[in-house]
Formats: sequence, structure tokens, C-alpha cells
Amino acid sequence: MELDECLEKLYVGQLLPEITIRALCFKLKEMLVKESNVIHITTPVTVVGDMHGQFHDMLEMFKIGGRVPDTNYLFLGDYVDRGLYSIETIMLLIVLKLRYPNRIHLLRGNHESRQITQSYGFYTECLNKYGDDSRVWHYLTDVFDHLVLCCIIDDSIFCVHGGLSPNVQTIDQIKIIDRFREIPHDGAMADLVWSDPEDNTGTNNLNGMDMITSNDPEVAFKQSLSVPSQQFQVSPRGAGYTFGRSVVEKFLYLNNMERIYRAHQLCNEGYQIYFDGLVTTVWSAPNYCYRCGNKASILELYSKNDYYFNVFDEAPENKINGLSQSSTSDITARKLLNDYFNDDNDLIDNDGSITETDVFSEEYQSKSASSRRVEYFL
Amino acid sequence: MADRDVEKSLKRTVRPGINTIEITAARELHARTVNARNPRNERAMQTTTTTTTMAKSSASFFKEPIPRHVCNSANNPPCKHCGRMIIPSPVATYPLEDNPSISINNWTITSRKRPILNSEELEDWETNKLSGLGALPEMIFGNNYISIKNVEKNWSIDFRALDALSMVNLEDSGIRVSYSKDWINSKLKTTAKEVHEDDLFEISSESLNIVKNYDWTYSTEYKGTVINYNDNDVIDFKTDNDLVLPIDKLSKPDQILFFDDMILFEDELADNGISILNVKIRVMNERLLLLSRFFLRVDDVIVRVYDTRIYVEFDENKVIREFKQYESEYNDLMANQKRVLAHSRDPKALLRDSNWVVEHIPLVKRQCEVIQF
Repeated sequence: MELDECLEKLYVGQLLPEITIRALCFKLKEMLVKESNVIHITTPVTVVGDMHGQFHDMLEMFKIGGRVPDTNYLFLGDYVDRGLYSIETIMLLIVLKLRYPNRIHLLRGNHESRQITQSYGFYTECLNKYGDDSRVWHYLTDVFDHLVLCCIIDDSIFCVHGGLSPNVQTIDQIKIIDRFREIPHDGAMADLVWSDPEDNTGTNNLNGMDMITSNDPEVAFKQSLSVPSQQFQVSPRGAGYTFGRSVVEKFLYLNNMERIYRAHQLCNEGYQIYFDGLVTTVWSAPNYCYRCGNKASILELYSKNDYYFNVFDEAPENKINGLSQSSTSDITARKLLNDYFNDDNDLIDNDGSITETDVFSEEYQSKSASSRRVEYFL
Repeated sequence: MADRDVEKSLKRTVRPGINTIEITAARELHARTVNARNPRNERAMQTTTTTTTMAKSSASFFKEPIPRHVCNSANNPPCKHCGRMIIPSPVATYPLEDNPSISINNWTITSRKRPILNSEELEDWETNKLSGLGALPEMIFGNNYISIKNVEKNWSIDFRALDALSMVNLEDSGIRVSYSKDWINSKLKTTAKEVHEDDLFEISSESLNIVKNYDWTYSTEYKGTVINYNDNDVIDFKTDNDLVLPIDKLSKPDQILFFDDMILFEDELADNGISILNVKIRVMNERLLLLSRFFLRVDDVIVRVYDTRIYVEFDENKVIREFKQYESEYNDLMANQKRVLAHSRDPKALLRDSNWVVEHIPLVKRQCEVIQF
């Protein structure tokens, strides 16, 4: 199948045959294996955060931000899990990447992992849509192992899915990571996709900025060392880090960078600014999990210091017109939904009919995205 | 430098042109208005409602009770009885507001669903209301609530995220993610190996201690917030553990007049499982049942379900509150259900389902209380 033909199908929400997916994944791996862990790009570019299988919202996002190849895109990871259309989402991105390799760049997020996708829905979705014997999930998770970790825009903006790591002081240290593997629990690669900023300065002055008196950044670093909340901190979960302001300042200073863009954390407004703009979270899944009611944003970078947060809401397809539908296909839609969430074994037999359901029909949409069904719970 | 950037970004947001968000809102408003005015849709809406109530066919065997409820929310579509109906969600309002309410006798049930907290509210919760917690859950529906009020006695029991999170322990829960030990050990090793004088990034073994202790699983024994609006007539629950909920009455397929299901908070524990507090309620002509469920799963470590049920019999003016704690080591559950899980093509899907989990882990505590008005 030609790439353009694939794109045509994907844009209207059709699934590609397994054999095509296999070929596409193979092609993309070939392309990605040549890339460094850190890629360099230039403005203009639009930075996109977590999408999490919210396919309609991604289409909406392309309407707002411009289609590929008219707009350059950098995706910060987390394409799959939680939303109901992870396969559609990741496949569209994969084909776009193959078709326009210089127009779109895909970083790896913590959900681009075998272990995580088994727990948060992508694995289940692959089985439901392609059947128990399919290897789609294997093909796609193999591609995930090849995704790059970081991106640098205009030699001055560092982009990553999660954040910084105590094992990474310089960009060169990222370049030597062996990234072609499952994301480990530990070490630089794990921290890059998992860690979160911890901004205590505005909220708790006892730990905060009062102790730092110097304007000279280097002296200020040294002073800030005595401030624990500005360093790396271990999470109470017993693994994983949060990184504070001085960590960020030090990293930017050492690598001659100005800012960090990252994703990974949900924010109601669609983006969140930390440390007076040194770190920014971009979140691109509106009404996350179809229930959070949050806004999403994409960050349009026109040049290094000229940018705009384009904030948007959930795609109207997710809820509008739902009530005007007749209820004949309701049951199928609900079964599909139940199957997805509860994985009732007695529904396996129905797999054949389920795959024939038009998952993009308005009935399915309204039921799955904003279903308010009544339940005789006890 | 950084400040200038922020300033610039602020400036950019007020640039001319229509923000996409306004377009979406306008589109939505239009569609909702059109939908609400189309009589064909109303009929479709009612059939949807009845087919989704699972006991539709069997319900017709029972005599329809004489309607006596009053729907309080003007935003809800028409109901057979009083011209208003609670299910499904309201139509054509702007700004969007979902705040249905129903009254039966002297009982009024109200619920509200709003988006997750915005950054301003979050900051307030973080620094003032819940300053003891190191980090708040990823999603907090802090403006959601369900309230069951006795209008005559000016008494109510509410379910709200803030009160639930206020009950989270501020001590170390002792629970660690499964790979915590390996993680800490590997850090200790590397710090011992390479200690550089001026290495600002180095983590000392001391800093591997967890700085702020709180129960990061957000386990909460929240049983609702009892509010006595009338100070000199304080009504509270009396413990009576012999009481049981009348399952026979609750199993009847009485028509559901009011239904809501909402999350108060949810966190995915940095991909190590889930911690979620969910509340749902159904109101029938003669009684209501509310279930507030806290569900915790820390992968390879522990599973926990805390259920609070509120049962009100309207004619008797009686409220029963039952609290049940279920808990199991993750490995015990896996071992007990080995056969089922091995047969499942996707065992993790079962572990995501709190209904399945609660049936397969032991009850560790039960408590029952009652109020007779």
C-alpha cells in the first residue's frame, strides 16, 4: 500500500491491515535507527504534548495547528493508552513520519513501553481490534524502542517528555545512552521520561529563594545547594525524582540552553509554566480520559523567542449529536466499551461483529465518550 | 530573559483573532441548543434512557409507583411525571453547568460535575488546604459533589474531594513501589563510587531519604461529610454493627429517577497502579443508595478497596451507613486467582476492574451506623 493511501484511510479513522502495519513499523525502525538520541531542529515548529489515544482530538489539533506538511511538528511522547483510539493515533503519526520525515518528529514518552501499555489500555485495545493472535502490539512496541529521547530547537530549547536526571548533566551524556530497549525503572533514560519539576519557590519561602542572595548565576547555584527543594528529590513512592529550580538552572547553564519544554503532567489550562518560564509543560489531550474537563494546548514556536500557546477544547465529535441517535447500535457500542474496560471473557465470541462496528460512528462516540448510563449497582 | 519570555507569552495570548476555544464553545452551544429544540431528539433520548436501564423488561412486571418526586434543576430535559427529568445530562446551557437535583418527601439530592481543579485552585489546595501532602493527586475534581439533604432537619451528608483528601495520613504509609529497593540500592552504589567535590548534580546518600512523608497512595477512610446546618440540633450516626443493608429491597428493579457517577480524585501513582475515589448514586421512588469507593492498586505490592454505602429509606426517614475495608497483598490475589488469570488473555484488565478485585480479596473490617430521624 502506498503511504498516501494509508494516510487517506487513517485520516478517516480506518484501521490498516496487520501486514501493512508490520511493513510500516519495519520501515520506520530502519529510519529511526540512524537517528541520534538527541535530534536538532529549527523553528518554526509546533510542540505537542501527550495525546493518549484521543484520536479525534488529534485530528482537531491538526485542524487548529495546520496539517502536516504545512506545519512542522514535534510530539513529546505518550501517544497511546487511556484514550480509546491508541492504534489510530500512533499509526497516523507513524505514517506521517514515514511520508514527511523532516516535517514531524516523535519523541518517546513513558507510555511508549511494553510494561506500561499492558497496564493502561493499549495492549487491550490491540487485542480487541486485531484479535488475540495478532502481533500488532509487538510491532508497535518494537518501534517504540527506536523513538528518540530528546530534541533541541534552534540550539537553545531543550525538549523531552518528562524532565531532567541526576545522571545527565550534559547533552553528550544523553547521546551515549543505549536507547534501543524497553524503558528501565532506573537511570538516565527512566528519569528523562518520568521525572517532574517541583516548584516550591513560589509557595514555601522557608525553603525558597530567600537564601539565594547573589545575582551571579554561578554563585547563586552554589547557594541554592543548601536548599533541598531546589535539588533532585526522591519521591515518597520510593523511586523516581522531582527536579528543582537550581537543577534546571545548572543544566541550562552548562549546556548553553535557554528553556525546557516537556509534557507528562496533566494541567487544566493546557500548559503550565514553572520556574518563571525556564520549564514549561505542554499538555495536548483535552478532556483527558473523556472526563477531566481540562483544556489542551499546542505551543507554536515561530522563532526562538516568539511563541504562542494555542489552547483548544475537546473535539465536538466526542459529544455533540450523540443524543439524536437511535438506540439500535447502542448495545453493540456498549459491549465494545465494556469489553475495552472490563474485558468480559464471554464477549470474546462477539469479536467478529465488534470489529465490524464503525467505531467512529456518532453513536459509538456519544456512548463511549460521554456515556451517562444508569446502573443498578449494589 | 525568562521574565521577558513570560511577558511575551502573555502579550501573545491577547493577540487579535478568535481563539479556537471560543469556536468550540460556540459550536457546542449551538449543537446543544439545536438538539434540545428538536422534538425527535427528545423521543430518542427517552428510548436511550430506557434501553440502558438494564432491567427494562422486568420492570414492567411491577406496578408503576405513583410519582411523587420533584425535579429541581431547570436545565434538565422533560420527564413524564413533572415535565422535568434528571437523566441524562442537561442541555443548552452556557456556561456549561451540570447540577441536577431531585426531591422526594423531605429529602433533596443534588450533584455537581465540574472539570478538574485549575492551577489557581490547585495552588490554594497545595499551599493552604492540604499543605501536609507532598504532592496532590494528578486529577482532582474538587468542585464535584453529591449531597443528600434532609430539608426538615437541616442535616446533610456530602461527598467531596477536599474532605476525603484531608483524611489522608500524613505519615509514611510504609508502602513502596515494587522496584524501590533496587532503585535506592543502585543510587547508593553510584554515589559511593563517584563522589566529586564540585559535582553539583551528585546525590548524597543522605538525600536519598524521602524528604516529605505522607501516604502517597492517598488511602482515605472517608465516609462522607456530615453537616448539621442547625447548630443546636446536632444529629450524628450511631454505631450498630448488627445492621445489614436490605439487599432484597435494593435488588428490586425500581425505576431509577436520578443517577450520577463521578470521580472525586484519581492518580496513577506514576504508572505504578491506580488510586481513585469514585462516588455513585441512584435514587428510586422509595429509597436511595450511594456507593463511595476508594480503590488502590500498587502493581506487585497491594490492592485495597474501601467501600462506603449510604442507604436512605424515604418513608421511614432512616439512614444507614456501611463501611467495608478490603485488602490483600498483590501476590496473594495473583496466587488465589492463578487459574482465572492464567486463562485470561489480558489478566491486567481484570486487575483494573475494582468490581472484580473486590470480589476476590478478603474483607478486613466492617462497620455499620444508623440515623433514625
